[in-house]
Amino acid sequence: MHMNSLLKVENLQMHYFTSKGAVRAIDDISFELRRGETIGLVGESGCGKTSLGTSILRMPTPPGRYVSGKILVDGVDVIPLPEKEVRRNIRWQKISMVFQGAMNCLTPVYTIGRQMMETLNEHSDLPRSDAEDLIREYLGYVGLPPEIVQRYPHELSGGMKQRAVIATALFLKPEIVILDEPTTALDVIVQAQIINLLKKLKKQFSLSFIFITHDLALEAEISDRLCVMYAGKIVEMGSNAQIYGAQGPKHPYTERLLGATPRLFKKVEQLQFIPGTPPDLIAPPKGCRFSPRCDKAFDRCFQEEPPLIEIEPGHRSSCWLHQRG
Amino acid sequence: MTDIILSVKNLKKYFEPHQSFAQSIAGGGQKKLIKAIDGISFDIRRGEIFGLIGESGSGKTTTGKLVMKLLEPTSGQIFFNGEDVTHLGKEKLKEYRRKVQMIFQDPYASMNPRFKIKDVLEEPLIIHKVRATIEERTKMIVKALEEVKLTPPDEFMGRWPHMLSGGQRQRVATARTLILNPMMLVADEPVSMIDLSTRAEILHMMRDVQKELGLSYLYITHDLSTARYFTDRIAVMYLGRIVEIGRADDIIDNPLHPYTQALIEAVPEPVTGKIDIIKELPIYGEIPSPANIPKGCRFHTRCPYAADACKDEPEPELTLDGEEHYHACRRAYEVQAERKKKQAV
Amino acid sequence: MNFADMKYRLSEFWSEFKKERSGLVGLAILILSLLVVIFEPVILPWKEANSKWRNIDYWQDNSASAPPAWTNAFTKLKAPETVRLEKAEKEEAELDGGVKLVTYTFDYHYGADKAPLDVIFHITGHGDVPVQVSVERPDGTTLDLAQRFEQGLAGQDIRISLDNDGREAAFSFIKNYESAEALERYSGRSLRTGDILFNVAREGMAMEFKPLKGTYKLVVKAMLLDPENSSVENPYVVVTGSVSGILGTDDSKRDLFSGLVAGLKWALLIGLLTSAISVLIGVIYGIISAYFGGAVDSVMQFVYQIVNSMPVLPVLIVISAIFKPSIYMLIAVMVLFFWTGSVMTVRSMALQIKEETYIEAAKALGAKKSRIIFKHMVPILIPYSFASMALSVPSAIVYESSVSLLGLGDATIVTWGQILHDAMQGAAILKGIWWWILPPGLLIAIMGMTFAFLGFSMDKILHPKLKTR
Repeated sequence: MHMNSLLKVENLQMHYFTSKGAVRAIDDISFELRRGETIGLVGESGCGKTSLGTSILRMPTPPGRYVSGKILVDGVDVIPLPEKEVRRNIRWQKISMVFQGAMNCLTPVYTIGRQMMETLNEHSDLPRSDAEDLIREYLGYVGLPPEIVQRYPHELSGGMKQRAVIATALFLKPEIVILDEPTTALDVIVQAQIINLLKKLKKQFSLSFIFITHDLALEAEISDRLCVMYAGKIVEMGSNAQIYGAQGPKHPYTERLLGATPRLFKKVEQLQFIPGTPPDLIAPPKGCRFSPRCDKAFDRCFQEEPPLIEIEPGHRSSCWLHQRG
Repeated sequence: MTDIILSVKNLKKYFEPHQSFAQSIAGGGQKKLIKAIDGISFDIRRGEIFGLIGESGSGKTTTGKLVMKLLEPTSGQIFFNGEDVTHLGKEKLKEYRRKVQMIFQDPYASMNPRFKIKDVLEEPLIIHKVRATIEERTKMIVKALEEVKLTPPDEFMGRWPHMLSGGQRQRVATARTLILNPMMLVADEPVSMIDLSTRAEILHMMRDVQKELGLSYLYITHDLSTARYFTDRIAVMYLGRIVEIGRADDIIDNPLHPYTQALIEAVPEPVTGKIDIIKELPIYGEIPSPANIPKGCRFHTRCPYAADACKDEPEPELTLDGEEHYHACRRAYEVQAERKKKQAV
Repeated sequence: MNFADMKYRLSEFWSEFKKERSGLVGLAILILSLLVVIFEPVILPWKEANSKWRNIDYWQDNSASAPPAWTNAFTKLKAPETVRLEKAEKEEAELDGGVKLVTYTFDYHYGADKAPLDVIFHITGHGDVPVQVSVERPDGTTLDLAQRFEQGLAGQDIRISLDNDGREAAFSFIKNYESAEALERYSGRSLRTGDILFNVAREGMAMEFKPLKGTYKLVVKAMLLDPENSSVENPYVVVTGSVSGILGTDDSKRDLFSGLVAGLKWALLIGLLTSAISVLIGVIYGIISAYFGGAVDSVMQFVYQIVNSMPVLPVLIVISAIFKPSIYMLIAVMVLFFWTGSVMTVRSMALQIKEETYIEAAKALGAKKSRIIFKHMVPILIPYSFASMALSVPSAIVYESSVSLLGLGDATIVTWGQILHDAMQGAAILKGIWWWILPPGLLIAIMGMTFAFLGFSMDKILHPKLKTR
């Protein structure tokens, strides 16, 4: 095992078992998160990126269940661990998460301080006064004044609430923080401020991030490496430079997704888009899952599923085009 | 003047904050008004897509609602087709709403979950008593669905909103507005809740419809990058005022107001080499509350270029600078020079 | 909303409802009750129990305060059950002088350990008809027990009760077996006909009853003196036992099972009608109050609070005492108070729905207030109102019963509350007539529970649906 490997996901499969059948939300996914690195998980809604986040935290949303694969944290598979053990040693201690829309899920009737305290109590046995000090300390780190603890959520702006949520995720000094769309509901300026804050915190606490978003432009700002997900699978994986550099992405889906990302300074006549909708994950299409929406698809794409192969060092893509020459 | 379809003149909307009985006694009747819209003026030309850009709290949505007559303005005037529509009676209002339609931000919430698509599209026809027979109505619904490229229409008519994707729903919402042959559409963040991959598709569809039917749009958004593609002209709002207004390209390539600059700087670009850079934003802190608007230039509390005059002297009005390009900043030249210097480096 | 949508929503509702056990129990009882109401004419042992509940004549052949027939299973000496014999063998004979003799013979199988209380013959006559009744016992002896000569009949019922009309004849029958001294001790009147008729003929039979089991032939003979102008029809015999029917009788000889079955539909009607009307009013009231807000809301909330704080039962009692209302009046009065039940919840839900974007969208399309309320808001709140309706059914039933219990109910119908009231008047508890109190009491409780079960289950399923996304 690689010395710097902090988290390793191996052939993970997690399906939602609904009355209509098993939804294959995560279908054979492998990746590795190194110490001090930010990995971006990007894809359309419903591609399984949030499911992957909660799965890594070992709390798949019911009716989701692990089917196969491993999640190795410091070399130990966390899937078979008892819940108690996970709560004591893994969740929030090693890996924490900023959930999507968490800032809007704060209880309106309690103060921010009280809600932060509750999270803290749930995961540690810190005495009250120490906990209060800790909260103040961390509010400082995210750029909030300590008086915030006495405020109610409705008195704060979206950006302030998100900062408080981020502080809450850092309390127990995790090594990995999963950030699920942490800026989606925020305005551009606040978004840029939060991204700046995350970069600062990452350095300060030597964190590793898993940054989940649907916005490729945002990933360019923060992610060292990118995993592009489509229909429960990783279709392309590469470094920031490989995806956003002059050569551009290799998988047609990433290419199209990048083309659909509006660019402020590059004036083009027509914005691109990807026609159609992502497939039903109960019965995904035969062959490559992107084939029904892909304009480059040929016979083989509809028959066989392409493997995720390395096309250059550190750059993987699953497309039959690469083998066609 | 006939080429102007909608004209807003010095429009203001103040809200009274909710106060409990005890508060109103303690406060001695002194209420802090929330100045959501504080004197804005703009014109929308016939066949034009006019963008209204701003952060949340800038008053852009309130402006949309005022134009839609969902709110009554505190003062100011709205002219539609040369006619004063600021205050309308019941019948006139209904007539106005037939001509001006709205697309809402959240396609999941803007349709009654208990209405099928057919019912959603039939509603405007029923409200405005258009076409008596069911066959004729159905024909119009089919036509509207085809216009927004939801085909085959028959299949979509029987579906429930929850069975559609966000993009499809926003198409239905568009079809609902088109079915009455309006002259103008107010679109409040129509694509912000739609997946990036299909966002452009909806915008294309909306623009095709606009060109085909000669509509005018008031496009309200916080997203500058879609605005650049979609709109002809842009007005940038900050705390209930328009701070800059001009052609979309001019605004983005040559912003004259520091707030517009900050907005542009903040937009992420999908290019490599930015991971280790902490972006320097030419703006401080967060937007103040509209109940507490700073004296002087309302942006000075966050402005890195602010001088004493910005604090003490009355708020600058919009001034023309270049072709059709207005801004409300007394230090615009300094700002521009500073920016050019930075770009050169 | 068309049929297919309805079906879709119902099937969706049903798939969740299936998981609610108490709801299913409630539903089963409700369906059973509805079946009973539908098949009431078949089920009712006393067909005219509805219209003749307070008619003493209709019930006179029954025994008073008779326990249910099945109590025999728990006693050593079996009591005879009240039976009505309608199958008769008919014989017609021409006598001299153009007189016609019609004979009806009924077979009665007697197998109990106690004597029946009475044997009552009924026959409908026209013209001048002398009637004679006799009984042929299993031991072969025949007793001519009574005769009657009715003249100028026009379809009236001739009723001959052996206990009243046959005592003389019965007394003369025991004379054959008992000594004169023994007879001295009985003044003919103190012996009941049944005690003699169904006794083993022997010395000492007046002293002790020993059942003579077997088949008795109960014969009624009618002489048609002028066959052209006189006739008889519809003969039947009631043997009045000391136990009766499924649930016994009350002290006015009324069959309680018939009363309770007849009362079921009124319980359902009172409960459902009251709750349906009051919930409908409450829902619309709540929505209007929420939608218009401001001064309208304040006034409506004020009215609501006044009505809501008025005690229902005292007002109901006063109104009933003064006006002696019909059942429909009573329902109307209950609605007057019950509508407040759902107002607050509906108002708060409506306040929430009012803020939904699709309401604003409808406004932007130019929709009128009435359209927004009735097309957009009411349909979403209707499912909730079903649940709240089911929950208010029990109180309606109980309130009606309470008013009836005080003797202030509608005197033209039978309700469970009235039966309970009669039981109280008849001192049923003191006399130990438990079958008069327990069944109506239990039924009121079960009916209340049924709707409570239904209501709670529906509430559980339909409530979260309000989160429309």
